[in-house]
Amino acid sequence: MILFEFEHENATSAEEAVTRLHEIETETRFLAGGTDLIPNMRIGIAKPAHLVGLGRILREPMTVDGEGWLKVDALTRLAEIEHSDLVTSAAPLLAASAHTVAGNQIRQRATLGGNLCQETRCLYLNQKHDFQFVEPCYKRGGDCCYPFPKNKKEVCWSVYMSDIAPALMAAGAEVTVLGAGGPVRMSIDHLFSGDGLRPLTLNLGEMIRYVHVPPMGKDSAWGYHKSTVRGGLEFGMAVMALTFRLDADRESCKDARIAIGAVNEGPVRLSKTEAAMQGQRLNKKSLTELAEMASAEVNPLPHHGFSKPHLRDNIRVYLRRAMEAALARAQQA
Amino acid sequence: MSDLKFIGQNMRRKDGPDKVSGKAVYSQDVKLPGMLVGRVLRSPHPHARILRIDTAKARALPGVKAIITHADTIGVRHGFVETPRYPADQDVLAKDKVAHVGEEIAAVAAIDEITAQKALELIEVEYEILPAVFDAEEAMQPGAPEIRAKHPKVLENLANIAGKTETEWGDVEAGFAEADYVREDRFENQLRTHGYLEPQVTLAHWESDKLNVWTSSMGTFIKRAKLSRTLGLPYSQVRIHKTYVGGTFGGKIDLYSHEYCAARLSMLTGRPVRITANRDEIFSAYRHSQTLTIELKTGVRKDGTILAQRVRIINNAGAHRGSGVVVIFLAWGFIMGPYRIPNLKYEGYAVYTNHTTRAPQRGHGAPKVRFAIESQLDMIADHLGIDPVTIRLRNARGPWEELPNKDNTHEAGLLDCIKEVAAKSDYLNKWRHGRQQPDPTSTIRRGIGMGVTTYMSGTLIYPNGSGVIVKLNDDGSVIVLTGALDVGQGAETVITQIVAEELSIGMDDIKLIASDTDTTPQDIGAWISGMTYVTGNATRQAASNAREKILKVASQEMGVPVEYLGVENKSVFNVADSQQRMTYAQVFSASVAKHRGDTIVGEGFWRTMRDEPTHPSLATTKGRWTENYAFSAQVAEVEVDIETGEARLVKAYTLHDCGFPVNPGLIKGQVDGQVSMALGQAFMEEVMTKKGYTLNPTWLDYRMPLIHNMAASEDAEVITEQYRVGKPYRTKEVGEGLVSGVLAGIANAIYDATGVRMTSAPFTPEKILAGLRKLEREKAKELVSQ
Amino acid sequence: MLDSPEKTTSSVLRARPKPRLVTLSINGEPHEVVVRPHIMLLEVIRDHVGLTGTKDGCESGTCGACTVLLDGKPVLACITLAVECDGMNVQTIEGLSEGGQLSDLQEAFLDQAATQCGFCTPGVIMSSKALLDSNPKPTVPEIKKALEGNLCRCTGYNSIVDAILQYSGQGVKPLMRKDGAP
Repeated sequence: MILFEFEHENATSAEEAVTRLHEIETETRFLAGGTDLIPNMRIGIAKPAHLVGLGRILREPMTVDGEGWLKVDALTRLAEIEHSDLVTSAAPLLAASAHTVAGNQIRQRATLGGNLCQETRCLYLNQKHDFQFVEPCYKRGGDCCYPFPKNKKEVCWSVYMSDIAPALMAAGAEVTVLGAGGPVRMSIDHLFSGDGLRPLTLNLGEMIRYVHVPPMGKDSAWGYHKSTVRGGLEFGMAVMALTFRLDADRESCKDARIAIGAVNEGPVRLSKTEAAMQGQRLNKKSLTELAEMASAEVNPLPHHGFSKPHLRDNIRVYLRRAMEAALARAQQA
Repeated sequence: MSDLKFIGQNMRRKDGPDKVSGKAVYSQDVKLPGMLVGRVLRSPHPHARILRIDTAKARALPGVKAIITHADTIGVRHGFVETPRYPADQDVLAKDKVAHVGEEIAAVAAIDEITAQKALELIEVEYEILPAVFDAEEAMQPGAPEIRAKHPKVLENLANIAGKTETEWGDVEAGFAEADYVREDRFENQLRTHGYLEPQVTLAHWESDKLNVWTSSMGTFIKRAKLSRTLGLPYSQVRIHKTYVGGTFGGKIDLYSHEYCAARLSMLTGRPVRITANRDEIFSAYRHSQTLTIELKTGVRKDGTILAQRVRIINNAGAHRGSGVVVIFLAWGFIMGPYRIPNLKYEGYAVYTNHTTRAPQRGHGAPKVRFAIESQLDMIADHLGIDPVTIRLRNARGPWEELPNKDNTHEAGLLDCIKEVAAKSDYLNKWRHGRQQPDPTSTIRRGIGMGVTTYMSGTLIYPNGSGVIVKLNDDGSVIVLTGALDVGQGAETVITQIVAEELSIGMDDIKLIASDTDTTPQDIGAWISGMTYVTGNATRQAASNAREKILKVASQEMGVPVEYLGVENKSVFNVADSQQRMTYAQVFSASVAKHRGDTIVGEGFWRTMRDEPTHPSLATTKGRWTENYAFSAQVAEVEVDIETGEARLVKAYTLHDCGFPVNPGLIKGQVDGQVSMALGQAFMEEVMTKKGYTLNPTWLDYRMPLIHNMAASEDAEVITEQYRVGKPYRTKEVGEGLVSGVLAGIANAIYDATGVRMTSAPFTPEKILAGLRKLEREKAKELVSQ
Repeated sequence: MLDSPEKTTSSVLRARPKPRLVTLSINGEPHEVVVRPHIMLLEVIRDHVGLTGTKDGCESGTCGACTVLLDGKPVLACITLAVECDGMNVQTIEGLSEGGQLSDLQEAFLDQAATQCGFCTPGVIMSSKALLDSNPKPTVPEIKKALEGNLCRCTGYNSIVDAILQYSGQGVKPLMRKDGAP
């Protein structure tokens, strides 16, 4: 139940939605699946005066172009993505990550674009504030930080917990952002500000219109793991996604991309570890060392009751396992 | 036994069709015309004096119909326990000060939720912040901030003592002196919540000088008693209606402020008022379980025989006594029940802190106590080189043992439970296997562990008994009136089975009117684990009473002595000539015609420990506790990933002496549910708090087991009692005691798998990894020193 | 930042949004309701239409008790705006036993004692129905994946899995038996 009233209208096209967002004078938000926004409105951490619904916009079917790029309408529901044969073959990382999001009912409503545009999370933030943590924190426009009281006003260590963002980052995906000036295509890496207060670089009235995933070559490997306590439903304590290519020797690595999610204000690439993988012969020993390096390179925020050392431990083991699985899959192919 | 047709059978749930079709009406589903929405204003501080409350602005808001504060109450306090030693200490709305975050200060009734919410925001409260204390051991220290005056009869120089239980027998010091091995350990437990799916919700309607209430509860009669007293109404002016209840697990007993507020607001407005607690409120302001810290010193002989035990328990009871002074009594019972302890000294403290008030939770302390005792017993066995089965068999109580409180173990099946669960799980072949012969290619280590429990089956507590009425209809079908409440455990099904068996009538021909305080007889309600025994025997007696009347009339009509009559399929027949028979419908007509209109109504009553005047002493444990001990031995098999520290329950085995299983299928459901609760407690659940504030008041962040976490669960009964038609029986508890052995078993299995001993729950990957690293360091040190 | 103080003020002062007409087919029956945009599908089903079989366990999309089928897909009615559902088909638990006859899936839940307190049951059954409609013989992992968003505190889930396996003819026999007069 949301305890304030707001306007609502449905847009019939993405362009119309963007136009309307600029026309309406009160604070307006796009509403896609609503599985992030509506709970946030319920607890009053988002209080838009007006919603522009995107649910009536005709969704374009997913396609693979001549060069093998998968193009996904950002309004596509996650359930459709996780069960799509096309996505599973063209962008297995995307399918695998969509499969791990929340529970089935959420995946039926949540959209790809909405998943990427989700708010950051923090125990103190994601609850009602009727009688607990009443004074607004920095994120809520106030003047304190509950978990990290020494933080300065411009610093919010809430965590960006999309399961899909790291997967798309590791896959080298691009997004088309639709704004008043028309569509702009860019690397997904540029979508994230790394700022907990405003985690996305999107401006007012901009929406993610498409997600483009490059083809996986025959020599390509991918791995994905979402660490949870219960194996489902909840947000990840850490999310790991990676891709690399194998040289002709089927052992040496090139073009590695590793993205870690759910432990910082945005998904992060591990550039140092990626560089170390270049030309590296991958085997149990080297993967152990690389995972060790990755675990040191990542700088997780303690969040949701998980300590920094434990998150490092978790990432060290599961990243190695994800790399091992990726290597085994690629070598079998 | 073989001639039983309904008892001992897996009869489908009586309430099942309503529940799978969405027809079951829960308190949440009751709606009345003109209904107002109530909401409660709660304290934002853990400890503060209330200097001023100003409701003027809120009252002026259009759509606000009434606002209440402590000034609008009659000032009568309530408590889970209300005895001379432990007088009620809880105000229905805070008076002068608040002692926990979320404590209720005021309540509003308004035309809709948004108006009610705005009204709350307009109530001005001025506070003077007081120093707060959250750790029980800190709160006990002299000089700690005083939340409430310490109990006058506790003479030690300690602060904030809400209550104390103290008992001893034998000579512990002599026992320790005689012992070959003595060890001391300390065990800690996390804060857990009940996790009932239906939120707390109450609808109250004051109409024609009568208060009608629909509330999600564990017993309507106790709710009536507490509401009547705090509202200053005669019991007869309050009616609690029956609704289905969406889970309780201990969290809906006693009075909750919102129940009082809904009632009072309805009395003031003359309109129905509904208050629903939202999930965030339930997590951060309502009552969770008790967190016991257990210090345990045990002395044994070389062969593992326990000689002496000294136990000190500290319970962080929160801002009011709640059930905090009961759990320190019960903890003693759960300690002395399963094993013989010739010398025991026990001290339990309930300590006020600025946490939310606590409630009972399924097992009411037993899982925590058994986790400690069973873990330490394994540590002792390990030291002595005895296996876990042998040490348990050496100490376990047998049948007909008299306990120190003069209770008797009766037909205790504990020894059989231990032997059979060991056999069923192939315990001794699996034990130590994971650690001694680990698979070098895998990071998974498998372990096995055991836990043993005793649990009471009903004890003397308000209203100490149950009555049941069985009425025959003129078509030969039956109406049963019972105060028992089905909270999911299957009360209605079991009661119907008993009536069906006693009267030899199909279950579909029996209709129940249940738990309505105006129309049904008094009942204890769905707590203290005595439903099947206490209400069940009352039901049996009521049905027997009706059967006697039926047979008497039939005997006269048929000219056959009662001893020669049998009953089957809604008729009475002549055993010697089965062609000669009378239907119940005919008997009914004859009874009305010839017995001054007697429509054949059977009455039954039952009280456990009929000759005991009152409940045992919470202070000294003296007096009888229960006449019906349930016993169980459970085994947990776990897998631990030694690289990640993650552990999971793979399979649980439960062998329990539950007397006679009235409905084994429903019992299996109780077992499976408790296995699930145990694994939640072991691995994932914890209410995280910081300075009295709840950090994870949502089901995303408070992690209850999902379908992903379900474990295989195998159970079997050790049947020690019989059921005979027309005779009293002793069924035993099955709904609460079986969390304990699994939790303890998991802790022992983690040790068996890894060598890491868990002394605090939950058993997180972080703790397991830390333990594994410590072992590695010790091993490395050993190598160096060699 | 999520909301600056200025925006909060403006949101208090603005005029009330107008109610609008939402047309739904609920269990095959046409229903027209007039709602303001902040009203959830759950409130429409329970309070406006009066079908209280769909439960409100957390009102925040975390427990699955409010699961209904929206155009055949399981969704959480407590976090779905009613205005977003205009013109759509809704199936609730009441729709499974039209005419008072329980469906075989509901019977399977009774056979396995897969309901205890019953509060999660309508949501669990709707999630199960959605699964079985598209996958008549689901594997245990598929069942778990389909039901991971439905919390049940009573059963430990074992009996729920058994009910689905029994219904889908995968070798699980009824545990409980029906009444039969002796």
